[in-house]
Amino acid sequence: MSKPLPNASGHFRRSHADEFRLIETGFSRTMLALFIIALVSFPFLFSSFYVDLAAQVFLASIGALSLMLLTGIAGQISLGHAGLIAAGAFTAGILFKEFALPFWVTIPAAALVGAGIGVLFGLPSLRLRGLYLAVSTLALHFIVVFLGGEYETRRGFSTGILIDPPVVFGYEVYSTRAWYFTLAVAAAVTLWICINLMRSRSGRAWKSIHANETVAEAIGIGVTRYKLLAFVVSSSMTAVAGALFAYYRGFVSIEAFSLYLTIQYVAMIIIGGMGSLLGALLGAVFVTLFPYIIEALVSVLPGADRLAGSVFAFNYAAFGIVMILFLVFEPQGLVGIWRRIRDYFVLWPFRFKAMGGRK
Amino acid sequence: MAELDIANLSLSFGGLTVLEDLSLSVEPGELFALIGPNGAGKTSVFNCISGIYHPSAGSIRFRGRNILGLDPSQVARAGLARTFQHGELFGEMSVIDNLLAARHAKFRTNVLAEALFLPSVRRQELAHREAVEKIIEFTELEPVRHAPVGGLPFGIQKLAGFARALAMEPDFLMLDEPSAGLNRDEREDLARFLLRIKHELGLAMIWIEHDMQMVADLADRLHVLDYGRTISVGKPQEVLNDPEVIKAYLGLAV
Repeated sequence: MSKPLPNASGHFRRSHADEFRLIETGFSRTMLALFIIALVSFPFLFSSFYVDLAAQVFLASIGALSLMLLTGIAGQISLGHAGLIAAGAFTAGILFKEFALPFWVTIPAAALVGAGIGVLFGLPSLRLRGLYLAVSTLALHFIVVFLGGEYETRRGFSTGILIDPPVVFGYEVYSTRAWYFTLAVAAAVTLWICINLMRSRSGRAWKSIHANETVAEAIGIGVTRYKLLAFVVSSSMTAVAGALFAYYRGFVSIEAFSLYLTIQYVAMIIIGGMGSLLGALLGAVFVTLFPYIIEALVSVLPGADRLAGSVFAFNYAAFGIVMILFLVFEPQGLVGIWRRIRDYFVLWPFRFKAMGGRK
Repeated sequence: MAELDIANLSLSFGGLTVLEDLSLSVEPGELFALIGPNGAGKTSVFNCISGIYHPSAGSIRFRGRNILGLDPSQVARAGLARTFQHGELFGEMSVIDNLLAARHAKFRTNVLAEALFLPSVRRQELAHREAVEKIIEFTELEPVRHAPVGGLPFGIQKLAGFARALAMEPDFLMLDEPSAGLNRDEREDLARFLLRIKHELGLAMIWIEHDMQMVADLADRLHVLDYGRTISVGKPQEVLNDPEVIKAYLGLAV
């Protein structure tokens, strides 16, 4: 991905290599440093409830980024996301329970299983598009969930598989704060990998296929290969998120991976903004925090006691309404809003962008 | 030996005959124009060469090698690049990314190295970025190189489509109505680019065109199609005065 020109006057790129620098200007360097300081100090300033919430956001970010690669970038619609998270979680759970394998083995194993399932999920995409592809991935979701359920009942873990906390460099990751940092690093690494893929040939091939398959093929891109590759990369990242989820909860049970989880992830990439990695992150934050915000709003309404029982119903309804509002009024999602705000401040006191060059 | 050699090509969709016993050959360095009224089957010839359509009979050879039956990405890798009638660029991607995407097959990286952006990936990205910059310079697209293509004026988009085909560093260029929708200035620019490609790069080109003035001025040879059949082949002045051609275009009574 060639980057648009930086929004800074007096900053010039002097060579093509400068285009590969992720942080180009002093301002963005300062902002990044402040952001990292805020992230590091967060768990020391807030109660464990908020730290846990942030850890959930990091976990959701990994899942949302991998779905964004597949759907937002490569244009392949998948409703099998919860199935893949389940596959990763069960891989970690089964390897831990049956073979007592450590964290360092189960996570890569989950990635491999995810890659394998990714090929299966991807095969229908070679023939099917859009809605039909979505339905075929939905079928695979139910197959994975069925297999997980069968495993649980056959092995007598009908309430779920218990997993011990992982040991990283001799340190047991157990406290909320430790999980916060582990998942923050995992999310950062995932983001970095996604950025790298976007600026090299696989990312360009995926975007080309998304834009026009026939033309992509005619300029020498192996469409079959790269569609499958999108499924493989996305699925293995998703499965790793699932395995991390299993360790984080210390517990794997098939009930956690309902179709509603898939819908939440699809909502993340739509609300966040299709085709943008930043959008995936914003969507993950929004969708993870949304139920808590609704709950807080309901509790300040008059007669909150009587409404307490219907908080779940409120949640579902509000979620649906927000989705519709975004699709109708802000199809570019949160990232579209962010770009407008940024452009406003970059251009101020002017109102319109110069022609060409900037995105 | 001819660069591109098409012999006895036939294409039909169900009962509809699109191309009938078409034969043509393009010589090295030749600017070969393919003309004909709407629906004559010009773009279908391109789609057959590209491997998008599957002809029912005939052969297509490029530098003596059979390319019929290859899939479109293999044809592209064999050195044949094409443009599309409506540009068909990747609208959300920048001009640079469109051009880099066209160099896809020239990269030697794998997805794991790309995920970590290893030095080998960085090196290749840089080398191809520099190669793309030469094409951008050639086609005078410098002011818009970072802009998403979808937001550019149509004439510039057509030029970007042309640049994307050149970015593949092809041995043979297929241009599908490059001048359609362009204004007079843009057409003159296009003519200049065509002549520069012919003389500086020495590429053989097959060129679908409706602008008869441009064809008459620039093309080395003309091939006229009507309802999938060849009605005339030869030098521009001979062909454009051929009664059959005039009849096909203007519909004179026999």
